[in-house]
Amino acid sequence: MIPSDHFTKFYNEVFKFLETQGEEDLKSYWLAISKNQEKHTLELFKKKGLQGMYEYWDHIREEENCDLDLKLEDDKLELKMNVCPSLSKVLDNDAEPMKRYCDHCAGWIGPIIDKVGYHMVYDVIDRTKPQCVMRIFKNKEEATKAEKEAKLLMGWPGKKTDTN
Amino acid sequence: MIKKLRYHDEGNVHMDFHGATNTTIEFIIKKYGLDVMNDIFSKVGKDVYKNIRENIKNGDIEVLAEHWRYFFDREGADYSIDFKEEEIILTVHRCTAYEHVRKLTGSVSPHFCDQTIKTNEALSEGTPYIIDTEIIGEAQCRQTIKKRV
Repeated sequence: MIPSDHFTKFYNEVFKFLETQGEEDLKSYWLAISKNQEKHTLELFKKKGLQGMYEYWDHIREEENCDLDLKLEDDKLELKMNVCPSLSKVLDNDAEPMKRYCDHCAGWIGPIIDKVGYHMVYDVIDRTKPQCVMRIFKNKEEATKAEKEAKLLMGWPGKKTDTN
Repeated sequence: MIKKLRYHDEGNVHMDFHGATNTTIEFIIKKYGLDVMNDIFSKVGKDVYKNIRENIKNGDIEVLAEHWRYFFDREGADYSIDFKEEEIILTVHRCTAYEHVRKLTGSVSPHFCDQTIKTNEALSEGTPYIIDTEIIGEAQCRQTIKKRV
């Protein structure tokens, strides 16, 4: 058994292989993970909207030992990751980290947020540091405005940015 | 007890990651074939667990038992470890990773346990020891590290 504690280190090895195959292969994998994650998120997000997203990441905060702040407003959810356990584990690793490890997060979350009709802005800030900010908006114009302030804006399958 | 371990994660355990491992195994094998999946497990054994492998190379096989005990305890598995001269046997009576995936998905990839078999093979490759992994039932296995003949 690869312990669940070491899943991210296994994930990192999978990403390194897929990167050798090309961008479309990475995206195709993120979509497979996204589909898997729909089991835990899709109905909740459809039914409860931003409140459901808050509940999901509040649960993840505890179960995955994340140091993160969640702020729920009427038309926006903001997740500020202060110390990401996933990248932290990949950096504390005898195997080499994949340089774009952070990209997978927007890669699986983005397609689900698109499906439920919200607008995500994912700012990784710096791929070498375990911190990021994700904002999910009800309103597309607000999201477009927020995209302009991002330091390192992530895209995902179906959503292109300058970084991919 | 954990002084030798390179990784000793703490805090809560997120068992759903095993579901993502199952999805990954199915995705990689379907798209790239079994050999590619096995190569990735081999990298996990050789690179991620480089420290355990180095210890095994140097004749310290107890570090593997320490790794097993630490992480199977964290995941609430039912297991036992028997020590013999130059041999350690781990018997997993109930693998909580396997059971969690079965609960999540209803079906577990027939290659789910390859993560154990192939990672163990890589861990012992090029060392004076071998690690045999026998699947002895659903969610049950026996892993034996012993001197290479």
